[in-house]
Amino acid sequence: MSVSAAPTTVTTAPAIALSGVSKVHPGGVRALDDVSLTVGAGAFLAVMGPSGSGKSTLMHVAAGLDVPTSGSIRIDGAEITGLDETRRTELRRRRIGFVFQAYGLVPSLSIADNITLPLRLAGESADPAWLTELVERVGLAGRLEHRPAELSGGQQQRAAVARALVARPAVVFADEPTGALDLTSTREVLTLLRESVDELGQTVVMVTHDPAAAAHADRAVVMADGRVVDVVDSPSSAELARRLIALGQG
Amino acid sequence: MLDLALKLARSRVLALLAVAFAVFGGAALVTATGVLAESGLRSHVAPGRLAGADVLVAAAGVKQVEEDLDAALPERARVPAALLDDLARLPGVTAAVGDLSFPAALVTGDGQVAATPDPQAAGHGWSSAQLSEGAVSGAAPAGDDEVGVGSAVAAAAGIGTGDSVEVVAAGQAATYRVAAVVDAPGLYFVDSTAAGLAAVAGGAGAGTVDLIGLRTESGIADAVATAARDLLPTGLTVATGDDRGDVEEPGAAAARPLLLVLSGSLSGIVLLVVGFAVAGALGVAIAGQRRELALLRAVGATPRQVRRLVDRQALAVAAVATVPGVALGLLLAGRLRRLLVDGGMLPAALPLSVSPLPALAAVLLMAAVVSLSARAAAWRTSRLPATEAVTESRTEPRTPSRLRTSAGGLLVVAATVLAVTPLWVRNELGAGVVPLAGLLGAIGFALAAPALLQTAGDALAHRLPARLSPTSWLAVANLRGATLRMAGIVASLAMVVVFALTYTLSTTTLLTAGSRDVQAGTLAQHRVTAGALGGVPGDLRADVQAVPGVLAAAPTAGTTVLWPYTELGEPTVESATATVLDPSAAGVLDLGVRAGDLADLTGATVAVGADVARSRDADVGRNVDLVLGDGTPVSARVVAVYDRALGFGPVVLSADLAAGHTTSGLAQQLLVRTDGSPAADGALAALVADRPGLALTAATPPGTTLADAPAEVWLNLATITVLLGYLLLSITNELVAGTAQRRGELAVLRLTGTTPQQVRSMMRREAAVVAVVALGSGLLLSVVPLVALGVGFLGRPWAAGPVWLLPAVVLTVVAVAFLTTELPTRRELRAEPASALSHAG
Ligand SMILES: Nc1ncnc2c1ncn2[C@@H]1O[C@H](COP(=O)(O)OP(=O)(O)OP(=O)(O)O)[C@@H](O)[C@H]1O
Ligand SMILES: [Mg+2]
Repeated sequence: MSVSAAPTTVTTAPAIALSGVSKVHPGGVRALDDVSLTVGAGAFLAVMGPSGSGKSTLMHVAAGLDVPTSGSIRIDGAEITGLDETRRTELRRRRIGFVFQAYGLVPSLSIADNITLPLRLAGESADPAWLTELVERVGLAGRLEHRPAELSGGQQQRAAVARALVARPAVVFADEPTGALDLTSTREVLTLLRESVDELGQTVVMVTHDPAAAAHADRAVVMADGRVVDVVDSPSSAELARRLIALGQG
Repeated sequence: MLDLALKLARSRVLALLAVAFAVFGGAALVTATGVLAESGLRSHVAPGRLAGADVLVAAAGVKQVEEDLDAALPERARVPAALLDDLARLPGVTAAVGDLSFPAALVTGDGQVAATPDPQAAGHGWSSAQLSEGAVSGAAPAGDDEVGVGSAVAAAAGIGTGDSVEVVAAGQAATYRVAAVVDAPGLYFVDSTAAGLAAVAGGAGAGTVDLIGLRTESGIADAVATAARDLLPTGLTVATGDDRGDVEEPGAAAARPLLLVLSGSLSGIVLLVVGFAVAGALGVAIAGQRRELALLRAVGATPRQVRRLVDRQALAVAAVATVPGVALGLLLAGRLRRLLVDGGMLPAALPLSVSPLPALAAVLLMAAVVSLSARAAAWRTSRLPATEAVTESRTEPRTPSRLRTSAGGLLVVAATVLAVTPLWVRNELGAGVVPLAGLLGAIGFALAAPALLQTAGDALAHRLPARLSPTSWLAVANLRGATLRMAGIVASLAMVVVFALTYTLSTTTLLTAGSRDVQAGTLAQHRVTAGALGGVPGDLRADVQAVPGVLAAAPTAGTTVLWPYTELGEPTVESATATVLDPSAAGVLDLGVRAGDLADLTGATVAVGADVARSRDADVGRNVDLVLGDGTPVSARVVAVYDRALGFGPVVLSADLAAGHTTSGLAQQLLVRTDGSPAADGALAALVADRPGLALTAATPPGTTLADAPAEVWLNLATITVLLGYLLLSITNELVAGTAQRRGELAVLRLTGTTPQQVRSMMRREAAVVAVVALGSGLLLSVVPLVALGVGFLGRPWAAGPVWLLPAVVLTVVAVAFLTTELPTRRELRAEPASALSHAG
């Protein structure tokens, strides 16, 4: 089955294109089964599905964090399968941003240093105007010199979003970014992601269990047993909840 | 609780392996030290030649010391022969024999001396043969020129009854006819001949014997012993069973305290090193569990429950490791004893005494150390409010504890004060303080290190170049962000530096200072010894002096004196080795006499080292009260004070004073000074070659290389090697475990776009900083003790030792620092970053 998320603006190369990707984990679990998926630049895609359906695996493979057993993956038109770990890292650093459920900040670095880390690693320095805008956007202007442990969970997650955006990547992947947050923080983070799509033209792929969160996306795909089984455009949370429950019963 | 503790432990295998190793090695070291200590108190020499005597009567072999362990006397005091008749009349006694021993050796046909185990005491009276259990073939010797020969000697020399043999007894050569071969060690003369020879050798004089052996009707030895005790005057001891060996060989029995002294001097260092290693490993293990512990607090565990959990977990690991550790310790003690025996420091006759006590002590001690370290390491996390504990578990505590820092500072200051001891105390004790002061300083540094490094890091952070490479920048950020972890690594490696330098150099400096004294103070070029004959024959000196070109020849011997004195108002007895010299010694030795004259060493006189003279008010002209090696109290006048005490010992006795108070009266060596002409040397060599059993060597060893070092030095170096090996392995395990715990941090870095090369480069830079800081602080901590050592012992501000030591230490520290980060990092990097994700939390 093949799907593609419609871009809000028309561009030539899709941000990500997976074709015929399978992943068999050691031990024989087939976490992805011949998945093809295209995400256009500037799109916001939500990935849903029951636990164990392969959402995280899909994200890892698409982002070059893990190698697929077969199939091809292009990011911004560039093929990444077959690259070695160093090449893939350099590509991730430039083209991909991550937000994880557990914030994933480096504990010994300040918030400012954490946000600019990807640029620094690439040997670049941040454009001060862009940095200021980003920090304002995530609302952490006053907390830049603090260590992650001194911030609340929501603040840490917003810092992680800023870090994901700092290198202006082709795609931001978020794996249950609101899974550990309260309602207010959840809304803040989702709004941030939505704004980055609308105002900055960022492409975002977000894995989530929460139909309300998925409703922020332009399109939602539903996975089961390593396959994409459903696609919903401009999803509403009620519609998504209905389809997920149906999947659970079927 | 234990169940939960073990479950938590399972996820921290590497760190707990480090703990297990530290405990395993620690238990081994403590057990070995304990076995030595116990043997020093309780081991018995097995009865040998006199096993056939049911009861032995001899002079008491110990000097009673108030409020202290009795001092063992190495020289034999004699027993009045008149007691023989009284003892023979006791009911149940079937035979009473006065036993004598004196130097004797049998010369074989080709002019060689037949080897005997103890030539100094190989000659006995025939009646002593009754006390051995061996069979006799032949008839009792009857007359001045007949002898009974021990079967081993007879076999070695290839002789039998009826043969004519040359025997050197009490230094006198004569021809004897072999009347009997006895299945016992030694040579047996007619009793009256034996008495005469013993007197010549300076042993038992007229009317005395070395000891009295009784044979009794079977099974009543103890009753006879009790009766004998009632009968005998005080100052005599009656021995049965296992105690007989100690009486038979007072020299061997007196070596026992050496074990006690050795274990005493080891115990301090062993405890410090083991405590350091165990606490370090537990610190790493518990740091790795901070998050779990904090979560436990969050779900309702009380601080005490958390500490108890940590305690149980550590004790469970310790229990598993202690058992094989104790077993290894028993083996280790055996090896150490072999080393001592091979080095001639311990008589082969003295076995180790092994009971469950040292093992028990090791188990209890390790349990205490482990429990204390575990609770201390978990203290902070356990006491924080639950929420704060969870927050803090993600990073490490920002401010190091004030108490810890000041305790560390105080310890460093105290260690520095202790370290200048060698400036005042120029002897083994003074040199022994150096490693102890070094270790204390290093432990103090370990306590103060987090605060010190944080201050230094903050100060340095402003001076860093603005454009650091990303990996250097990350390395610095990591080190500054994890001061506690870095301080632990730096302090451990600094400990290695301090330990290796202070321990090795104090040993080699003492050796160098001693051999310097000997080199400078020995005027003689040659040394004549007669070990195979049991001592230098008395007439040899005149013969040597008659050789043309010989300027001086003087006999020397060694013994032990006990020196009672008061120290800080407490009566103490020091047991010191003493050289026995006569006035002629001034011709062959230059002890660096600063007052008085060695030529006055006649009658009841002594010469003492400058150190002793100062500290015990023993200047020239003073009278000092001493106890000779056989227990005789004497008052002697000090006739000279000398400087070269490190080479020649703290006390010199006049030959007159020592005469009759040593087991063997013959000199151990003859020092000979010639005019240096080849003719004189040749004539001396010819004289020595002509008489069987003599050996000619250079008066001083040719160099001061380690290979010529005395056994004590090798013993020390062996100890260093074992302890250093233990310390290094413990630290290596600890560091590997510490690096492995950083997987979460490394995972986050990789997910943020750090390439594997960048991770490796970052870790290498961290290791480089750690190695440099560790080496710097280790060297800084060693400077004061080593400078004091050099100034005190060598008169120059640096210690003596092998030149490769420092480079080797530097190389070791650098290698450990790099390998313990490189290898675990590589392993971490081998996994795909997606799998690392599960650790990024
Ligand atoms: N490293 C691995 N080794 C073996 N099997 C794995 C591994 N990672 C995931 N799996 C298996 O692959 C399947 C898909 O896992 P995945 O983590 O992608 O699910 P998910 O949809 O993200 O679930 P959840 O919503 O619970 O996070 C599961 O059956 C899982 O057990
Ligand atoms: Mg998942």
